[in-house]
Amino acid sequence: MRISFQEELDTLQSTLLEEGQLVLRALRGAINALEQRDPELADEVIAFDDEVDRQYFAIQEGIQSLLARQTPVAVDLRLVLAMLHTNLHLERTADYCVTIAKLTKLVYDISPDPKLVEAFEEMASRGEEMIRVALDSFAKRDLAVAETLVDLDESIDLANRRVVQHILALGSNPALREWGLRMIIVSRCLERIGDHAVDIGEQTAYLVTGEFREFTDASHPGSPAS
Amino acid sequence: MTGVTPIEVAQAREPRAAHPNREVVFQVRDLAALYGTSPAVRGVTFDIYRNMVTAIIGPSGCGKSTFIRCLNRMNDLVPGARVEGEILHHGQNLYGDGIDPVQVRRWIGMVFQRPNPFPKSIYDNVAWGLKVHGLKDDLDGRVERALQSAALWDEVKDRLRGNALGLSGGQQQRLCIARAIAVEPEVILMDEPASALDPIATTRIEDLMHELKNQYTIVIVTHNMQQAARVADMTAFFSLEVDPDGQRTGVLIEYDETPKIFTQPSDKRTEDYVTGRFG
Amino acid sequence: MPTATSRLYAVGGDRRLRRRKLVNRLMEIAAMTSALLAVAILAIVVISVLQHGIGALSLDFFTRSPQPFGVAGGGLANAFVGSLMLVAVATAMALPVGVGVAIFVTEFASRRVAGPIRLALDVLNGLPSIVLGIFLFTLVVAAHGQSGLAASTALAIVMLPLVARSTQEVLLLAPASLREAGLALGAARWRTIIGIILPTSLGGILTGTTLAVARAAGETAPLLFTSSLLASNDISANPRHPLFSVPLAIFELSESPEPADHAKAWAASFVLISFILVTSLAARAALGRSRRKLGRVG
Repeated sequence: MRISFQEELDTLQSTLLEEGQLVLRALRGAINALEQRDPELADEVIAFDDEVDRQYFAIQEGIQSLLARQTPVAVDLRLVLAMLHTNLHLERTADYCVTIAKLTKLVYDISPDPKLVEAFEEMASRGEEMIRVALDSFAKRDLAVAETLVDLDESIDLANRRVVQHILALGSNPALREWGLRMIIVSRCLERIGDHAVDIGEQTAYLVTGEFREFTDASHPGSPAS
Repeated sequence: MTGVTPIEVAQAREPRAAHPNREVVFQVRDLAALYGTSPAVRGVTFDIYRNMVTAIIGPSGCGKSTFIRCLNRMNDLVPGARVEGEILHHGQNLYGDGIDPVQVRRWIGMVFQRPNPFPKSIYDNVAWGLKVHGLKDDLDGRVERALQSAALWDEVKDRLRGNALGLSGGQQQRLCIARAIAVEPEVILMDEPASALDPIATTRIEDLMHELKNQYTIVIVTHNMQQAARVADMTAFFSLEVDPDGQRTGVLIEYDETPKIFTQPSDKRTEDYVTGRFG
Repeated sequence: MPTATSRLYAVGGDRRLRRRKLVNRLMEIAAMTSALLAVAILAIVVISVLQHGIGALSLDFFTRSPQPFGVAGGGLANAFVGSLMLVAVATAMALPVGVGVAIFVTEFASRRVAGPIRLALDVLNGLPSIVLGIFLFTLVVAAHGQSGLAASTALAIVMLPLVARSTQEVLLLAPASLREAGLALGAARWRTIIGIILPTSLGGILTGTTLAVARAAGETAPLLFTSSLLASNDISANPRHPLFSVPLAIFELSESPEPADHAKAWAASFVLISFILVTSLAARAALGRSRRKLGRVG
């Protein structure tokens, strides 16, 4: 029943998950550009954002059209709203990748602190994993998997704080100081990407339970997730 | 770490074109339909496209039914009914000199608001039209295919000789659809086809329209604009205009792709109607 | 508005209420009495006919021709056969024309034309059958002599309005949506009428025909002018010659001096009444069935 409606929902979902794949590629590209100090790769990452934006607008329009024409209710409505938010989070994530790439272009000629680069690689990997887990939990409607994102995010937050400490102790070399300043922003971007992955997980929870809630509340740190 | 298994990831997904096949089936040009001297609709001009569902919406009394009945000259049956302007079907004016209305209805079929199966068996209901038009080869096969296309075959295949009037309302309406498509028309007109049916039967008819449009061109009149939003590719909004003498006539206000009509209509009157602020 | 002191529904002792109830009761009794009276009249007629005629009912009555005057025995076989033939030929003439008229009036005629035609049919219905008899006498019998055909023609004219009226009623019963459905399939008007409307109307047409047959079987006046001078008492079914008939038999036998003939007349009357009773029941059953078939639409 309502075949065309179901087809539309399925198409929107697959477009969303494709967008997720594109975002993962952008993230991997941005980190590789940073590690390899490759400004051309960075430019590619920046240009690639147009593709993500295309998906973003397509999904926006698709959701608008679907809401207007099919008047979804219950689980269908929650799915559409969850997709709307997830779409936004993915687009913001892609923007952060662009920011990382732009910063790479600014400081590629400065010799980096290898320990920090290693830390970034770890944070980025963690971020990639979180995006994958979030999208997977969304596709499978798996609440338990979504909730694991909180712990994964913990480690990125800790790594972020360590990076900041390390950068503050870098010393007075001006070039290195400039590099350090930029890298704080990179670290922040990666930390925010982790947060967006958690937000996508929260959308999965909303989809499954119908409740609006955050896994953790930033203004009440340490309070339990459930 | 679990890999993502998305529902469908095509690496190179071609964008879905809005309406790739825009072949014109009807060209309505300045059409007016009158009963006696007072026009029920006037000044109607737009094109209807092949293999699409085109919905006609609007408040009651705005001439929707009158208009759709002009498309297959069913309006001729009303004494005193007259038509001005043109309806070109593949370039030929349906109201031109020498055009036989019976021939018109051969290619442009109609399904009505209240299901009206003949008081015959289910088989005979579908077969009657076939016999009239001499499509007697493989009669059984044609009847079965028509009932399949109308999503009714499974429910009636064991009682084809039973009385059609013993079916439920939704089944009767699908039988009427089967009857209409058995003679292989080009166009199927539907005048509020689901308004006499319960919601489940309605959804079935809507799903059917989605299937049928691959083979036929469908024009439907509906007073339920959500239905138009769900099923139609193109939507035409009719409303009433009151002229200085107080005479009310139906006119076409806006005609566009359905998503546009329901997300950002060009005319304020359309917006007032679809948002339910008037109508 | 009811207040604390007044009540909405008066109980028991209200004078106006009692009088209303009494009047109701009286009206009920009066209506019932009328109904009983009507039924009683029919019962009296049937019972007295049966009483007088039962003696003459026998197998011979139905299978043998009348004996010459003064000879005992014999039956009315020639009358039964003759009536059968006369009515059959009359039906064959009246049915197609009656149905045709009805189709024309309901499907093709404009309101201006349909009105006068309906009026004509009503007048024809009320025309005294003796007038039809004289008419056919002058037109046919005077020049060519009596015949069963002339009699059947007169009976057909009697039957025509009945068939036409019943057919018309049942054609109007067929909903316009059926006609629309047929036309929307690209079928021509006549195709729709013959293929869809007529088949659904068969019950009503049968009813009308049955009623017309019942009426025609009992008509006497036209027969006097067109089919009363018989050559012999043999059983004949040749419409080119005058045929004996049951109403004529009743008429002639009742004038006979022979008491046995009177009994035969009563018996024939009883057969006629039975025939009308059976056909009326059959007609009602047929109409009920066709109403049910059409009534389940939608």
